[in-house]
Amino acid sequence: MIFLKHQFFTLLFLSVISFQGYTQSENEDNLKVGWSTADITPDMPVLVAGQFHARLSEGVMDPVTATILALESGEGTNSEKTIWISCDLVGISDGMRATANLRDEIRNRVIKAIPSILPEQIIVNATHTHAAPYVASTASVEDIYGVSLEQMADGKPAMSPSDYIPFAADKIAEGVISAWGKRKPGGMSLGLGHAVVGLNRLQALKHGKSRMYGNTNSPEFSHIEGYEDHSLNLMYFWDINKQLTGIIINIASPSQVSEHSYELSADFWHDTKVALRKSLGDSVYVLAQASSAGDQSPHVMVGSKAEERMQKLLGFAEEGTGRGSNAHRKYIAKQIVDEVTDLFPVMKANIDWQPEFKHEMKLVPLSRRLLSEEDVAEATKEAKTWQAEYDKLKAEVRDNPAMIETPRWYKDITISYSKLRRGLVVSERYELEKVQPKMPIEVHVVRIGDAVFATNPFELYLDYGMQMKAQSPAIQTFIVQLTGSGSYLPTKRSIEGGAYGAVPASTLMGPKGGDELVEETLSIINTMW
Amino acid sequence: MVRLCMLLALTFWLNVPLQANDLYLGAATADISPKLPVALMGQFHMRIAETADTPLYAGIVAIESRDGQTGLDTAVFVSCDLVYISARLRQELRDEVAKRIPGFNVNKIIVSATHTHTAPVLEDDLEESSFIYPIPEEGVTKVKDYRALFVRSVADGIEDAWANRSKGSVTWGMERAAVGYNRRTVYKDGTSVMYGNTNKDEFQNLEGYEDHDMNALFFWNEADELLAMSVDVACPAQEFEHKTTVNADYWHPVREKLKSRFGQKVSVLGWIGAAGDQSPHSMYRKAGLARMQELAQKTRMDDIAERIIRAVENTYEIVKNDRHSNVVFHHEMENLELPMRIITKEEYIESEKVVKDCQEQIAVDPNKATLLYAKMTWFGDVLKRYKAQQKNPEATYSSEIHVLRIGDAAIATNQFELFTDYGIRIQARSKALQTFVVQLAGPGTYLPTEKAIAGGGYSAVCQSNVVGAEGGQVLVDRTLAIIDRFWDEENAVRLKKKL
Repeated sequence: MIFLKHQFFTLLFLSVISFQGYTQSENEDNLKVGWSTADITPDMPVLVAGQFHARLSEGVMDPVTATILALESGEGTNSEKTIWISCDLVGISDGMRATANLRDEIRNRVIKAIPSILPEQIIVNATHTHAAPYVASTASVEDIYGVSLEQMADGKPAMSPSDYIPFAADKIAEGVISAWGKRKPGGMSLGLGHAVVGLNRLQALKHGKSRMYGNTNSPEFSHIEGYEDHSLNLMYFWDINKQLTGIIINIASPSQVSEHSYELSADFWHDTKVALRKSLGDSVYVLAQASSAGDQSPHVMVGSKAEERMQKLLGFAEEGTGRGSNAHRKYIAKQIVDEVTDLFPVMKANIDWQPEFKHEMKLVPLSRRLLSEEDVAEATKEAKTWQAEYDKLKAEVRDNPAMIETPRWYKDITISYSKLRRGLVVSERYELEKVQPKMPIEVHVVRIGDAVFATNPFELYLDYGMQMKAQSPAIQTFIVQLTGSGSYLPTKRSIEGGAYGAVPASTLMGPKGGDELVEETLSIINTMW
Repeated sequence: MVRLCMLLALTFWLNVPLQANDLYLGAATADISPKLPVALMGQFHMRIAETADTPLYAGIVAIESRDGQTGLDTAVFVSCDLVYISARLRQELRDEVAKRIPGFNVNKIIVSATHTHTAPVLEDDLEESSFIYPIPEEGVTKVKDYRALFVRSVADGIEDAWANRSKGSVTWGMERAAVGYNRRTVYKDGTSVMYGNTNKDEFQNLEGYEDHDMNALFFWNEADELLAMSVDVACPAQEFEHKTTVNADYWHPVREKLKSRFGQKVSVLGWIGAAGDQSPHSMYRKAGLARMQELAQKTRMDDIAERIIRAVENTYEIVKNDRHSNVVFHHEMENLELPMRIITKEEYIESEKVVKDCQEQIAVDPNKATLLYAKMTWFGDVLKRYKAQQKNPEATYSSEIHVLRIGDAAIATNQFELFTDYGIRIQARSKALQTFVVQLAGPGTYLPTEKAIAGGGYSAVCQSNVVGAEGGQVLVDRTLAIIDRFWDEENAVRLKKKL
């Protein structure tokens, strides 16, 4: 009898809890969630971003998109709001490195349409696909790559970056308006899994120097320079009927399997979204974030032959296997989808309908990397070498105009021009550091329930993200890199190693700026707990 | 003429059969659970287990390659739920097998440990070990008695597997599973600490890499029944390292689930990849992991086991139709002479102080022996090594390695708790399609990297290491040289055919 009595009260208690769960989902403190996607695939050739050489797109492998998540808690002008936009782009121009500013183009359009949303409530991140349109500059293509767009396209229609940026901003802003309009009461659940996707791409050699990529099958190879983070931070969103509406997937890997493609592509996120929708429903949205992963990539550094055999045995051979292949993308998608679907039942049973929700944006001044005269001299010397190479190649084209009939004829000449410019920026940065030793960057910190999201505009080396995760008071900390135009932010160890990514031309900030970023981000996070 | 000379030269040095051969396979599982109570190995303080949570097993696979009825080469893998394999234990087992299977080359027996810290003590002779507990004379299973039980049981299993070997097939596969975590925390002052707190301002990074490849071999008999599988995970089985009960750690739930999935007779061999700087313990994001376990009503042990099981099942499904019954098979055992880590005078003086301190504390309170005796012997070994080093600064440490080729896979064993970077070096430079590095196939001591030695901390200090970074590279190079030869020979045969 006592047992029955206990059972009755337990059931009553659970009913009240359950009832509250639904009724609370209707009140003003409830989380409101809206989703949409915007197709930002251009309808004509564009420059593809991500390599030293220019690539004029030669078709579309799969669409490049922006996924938009609108979150609101409370009512009216004082409600807390976050608009999260994840774009299949290599970076989000924000005025930090050049005049282009896709981020503000989007913000301006959104706040014009929805005045209650503030610019600082809009966060835009890139997945770092290297097969998406170039948005880093509005300068002429000749100024960017040393060859005009007209020449590259051989007179055929093509869209310049200065035209593509407003094109994308229009589409994304429409998406935001749609997501905002569709927001409905909902809940979220917080999940943590593992998927081995991002792999450290820096190889430390026995003589003390490091290199990015290269061959580990060499007697001079000592070890992989840094760490890897195989955690999969997940946030599932539900409608009041407990139907999954979308998922944030945060993984410490840029999406750059197809990094040499001339066809536009969202890279492995395309395959992941297709596979996830197949498992969880066609209407499910997937918002992809890259955690700190400046020294990571999906490319296999050790054991690639064994993995390629597994890809073949999985039946992916027809799509090509090995590095840069679609089979590799599918293999990655499988790792992610297996984990997301595995956690699904637990997530569905643990929905938080009224998570604590706070969003703060702060302009954090970070120390620029202190460069030496030797750094400048070396970079200038390299620039001169590339100038000579560029001049030579340019003359060859002038003397032999028929060259441009050859497909992708512009590859070498654009490499030489990019490297020439890369050398020159070191001197500019050296001078700038003297007069503006600090550079302000946007850091967003968003608390949702027991989780926190912390953004930065960099390709942030993994150690910094790990420091933030280790010291954060949140149960789960989502670091989101590339919420801006992105430059590498390397560690001291990596600068000593001297690999691409840690050299002066690749960086705006150094370890001092990195330490400041960690400290400032943690101090904002701490105010929310 | 040049071609002829090349052909003659090749013919001269090719003394191993190079063509693919039939494999004869047998498998068994031996119960190596101790009689209770028993002293457990793995912590500085002595633990006496009164109860056992799980049995302890040794998984066994016997392999013979044949050309018709002629036996060509052999290997016997024995994977044990033990913390390491002492030299004496291995020798006693080989001696016993030699008695039971006349003519069998017992040096082809490879005995490895999963590194569970809740299995019996194997050594009690200070002349042979640097880590001795003050085990009571009465009331606790004697170390030599446990070794006798182990030898009897495993020899039975080897005899059985060998006797029942039949023509079979094999395949290999890999999947990724995040199980082991690097456990060495680096602080901003450059020092490293094993299991150091990462939730502090001074935390800089984790010292080394992690290897999340899970490699597996599957063995079938002629009737296409799965006989055994070996699963190589770069993470020691020490989730339960502080328990005072006998426990096979994560291999127990993994084995149970795999047996229920693939058949109770299937032998599961747990191999540990190069993982001297790894453990199953999370170094950060602990709150998130704990919450997920609570929500899913799972323990960390469940989590580990599920990751491995899922990886094995995925691998099996992918590779099960790519079996090979006729493969190239080679096995070479070699005793390497590795340069020993040099003990500095400062290290000697520091160790001497610790030994004296332990001696004094035990003299005042004999009950402290259970806490301090092993520590005293551990530091005491440094004194012995220093004195020996004074007499012979060039002394080397003899270490047994095995290198095998099975089809497109290479297997390379070593006796150490080998830091992961060495395993990565071997895998990166191996000519095999897939390379299994198996540590703790012998007496385990840490073999740290140069980077780790510079950072210091337990596992990279002189007390922890008989061999240092220089010896680690010798191990890597020699292992690769043997692997190279196994594959170069194949290339030579191709060349020979071409000529």
